[in-house]
Amino acid sequence: MSRKETIADLAIRTVFMAIVYLAFATLLPSYHTMSGLAALFDGAVLIGLVAVGLGVTMLAAEFDLSVGSLAAVIGVLAINLIAGGMGIPLALVIAVAAAVVYGGLQGLVIAVTGINSLVFTIGTLIGLRGFALIISNENSVTIPIPRLSETDVFAERFLGILSPLSIILIIVLVLVGLFLSYTVWGREIYAIGGGRAEARAAGVSIVRPMVIAFALSGGLAGLGGALSSVRLGSATPLGFDTLLLSAVTACLMGGIALEGGRGNVLGIFIGLLTLRFLVGGVASLGAPYWLQSLAIGALLILAIVVQMAIYLLRRRGARPQSLSPQAS
Amino acid sequence: MISRILRAGILPDDSMSDTDAQALFKRRRNMVVILLAILLVIVAGAITTPSFLTVENLLIVIRAASITGILALGMSYITISGNLFALSGEELAILSACIFAFLMRAEYGLFTSLVATLLFAAACGAIQGGIISYGADPIITTLAFGGLFRGIASLVTNNKNILLGTTAAEWLGTARPLGIPTQSWAFIFLTAFAWFVLQKTRFGRQLLLTGANREAARATGLRVGQASLVALILFAVCCGLAGIFAAAQFGLAVANLFTGLNIDVVAAVLVGGISLRGGQGSPIQAALGAIFIALLQNFMLLHSFTTGERMLVVGCLVALATLGFHMLQRRRA
Repeated sequence: MSRKETIADLAIRTVFMAIVYLAFATLLPSYHTMSGLAALFDGAVLIGLVAVGLGVTMLAAEFDLSVGSLAAVIGVLAINLIAGGMGIPLALVIAVAAAVVYGGLQGLVIAVTGINSLVFTIGTLIGLRGFALIISNENSVTIPIPRLSETDVFAERFLGILSPLSIILIIVLVLVGLFLSYTVWGREIYAIGGGRAEARAAGVSIVRPMVIAFALSGGLAGLGGALSSVRLGSATPLGFDTLLLSAVTACLMGGIALEGGRGNVLGIFIGLLTLRFLVGGVASLGAPYWLQSLAIGALLILAIVVQMAIYLLRRRGARPQSLSPQAS
Repeated sequence: MISRILRAGILPDDSMSDTDAQALFKRRRNMVVILLAILLVIVAGAITTPSFLTVENLLIVIRAASITGILALGMSYITISGNLFALSGEELAILSACIFAFLMRAEYGLFTSLVATLLFAAACGAIQGGIISYGADPIITTLAFGGLFRGIASLVTNNKNILLGTTAAEWLGTARPLGIPTQSWAFIFLTAFAWFVLQKTRFGRQLLLTGANREAARATGLRVGQASLVALILFAVCCGLAGIFAAAQFGLAVANLFTGLNIDVVAAVLVGGISLRGGQGSPIQAALGAIFIALLQNFMLLHSFTTGERMLVVGCLVALATLGFHMLQRRRA
């Protein structure tokens, strides 16, 4: 896609986001205040962190279905470490490091064997869930009550409104966005996603970008799981079960193409806000939680259908050129 | 030309240069692997637990295998048509159970409720299949529909149990003609039917060709999208049946009827050794895979594995089976 097309694409998505926002803003007073919006954004942190990681694997034309389960494992792990007497910052670092290592290994296996990551991660999705149940003894784990005050830092507000987690999400968005756009390793991820055969022919190693992509998706899923568990003071092994659905929706709404190689972090951010405005709005109107799953499912279906229609139209538009001899 | 392509689609492409005996062995090998695996669990169970090889326990296993198996049969069509997996089976089965219970409660009668539920399920399959047949990713699309179905099921039930309120359907869920549960009869008949359709009918051969080589299928003038569409519809009808059986068996429908079913079904197809590239494999492999998974789950339950341990084992099994068959295929290619 040319720069112009990218901007046009993002503009359309921003307009759609604005429509969703305005639709709910007419009904909900909280949508008019800065603190209301900051609270909405705060509620998007977990999905946002996971969506960025998932989006990176999608850019590489792969997919990581295991993010929800991994978030649960890392959440339980972080709480277990804290309950075992470790300080919160160190526990977070160790838990997230474990997630990065796990994700990297998963990427290594997928890169070396060339296995279909969608199918392979169905296996790890269920295996990790089992692991979360085992390390939690099939129960919620909690931070001991005397130490709960250590988590007060999460309740602070910077600049009057932004929560620490919102700031972490913004930092992650900026860093990953810069990494993908301006570093060789980041461009390699786009390269193996946009045309793996061409990338390989041009001498791009498949292993490094794959390991980086899956390490990022694992690490960010772990970061999301650990941060939101620590903030709550507890983690449940069966938690985060709808996280994957939400994160895919944010990515697809944000224009990350399932075929790989197309999309950017700014798009994910817009997709995330669209999803958040919709789901937050549905929830604020008093709908029960399962109606939110219906709303997310419907939004994801819409995103899939629209993306498919664009893809088909674009292919139809490109057909005259594909009559050239080298086309298959 | 066309007949050569058709033959290439039905026989695995790499077998064309081999002798017939070798080709036959290669095609049967995955079947042998899964049969050996089933035998292994049975022997291990018989040695370690006296309560494993009893008629009562085996009937429990067979009934559990039947529900997983009915879905796995439908899923095998999706995989063979080259569309990997659907992740909305569990949710559609739940939704079907809810709708069946709802209709029975509203006194529409057994026959009407049955037909309406199956038609509804087929329509759900047609919508998903329609989208997938235009090239949307099957796993992500069905993931989205899974969320939607779960939401609608909660909407229909208002998140409570729906009692059927009548015993008209009880026979369907609990009877044992000739000592075998009705679910298992359905499983056996559907296995035979699925095998027959795939191997002996024109549609089946088209499905195999489409899965094996989409471009070749398109070149021979087959409507490629149709195979995906029909595969999804058949899978959805299987989900509908599973939902009806469960609602009839328990006399109620509830949103957590089939916890973990999606994974068991995917595991059944993978462990059965159906190629993820499409175009190869048989519904019988999926059926055997389902029996294996049910035996394994039962074995682990009798050895008081916790839920977490059982999930870890099945998850590792799925990942390893994917890896194993993938490596085998790559070595042959």
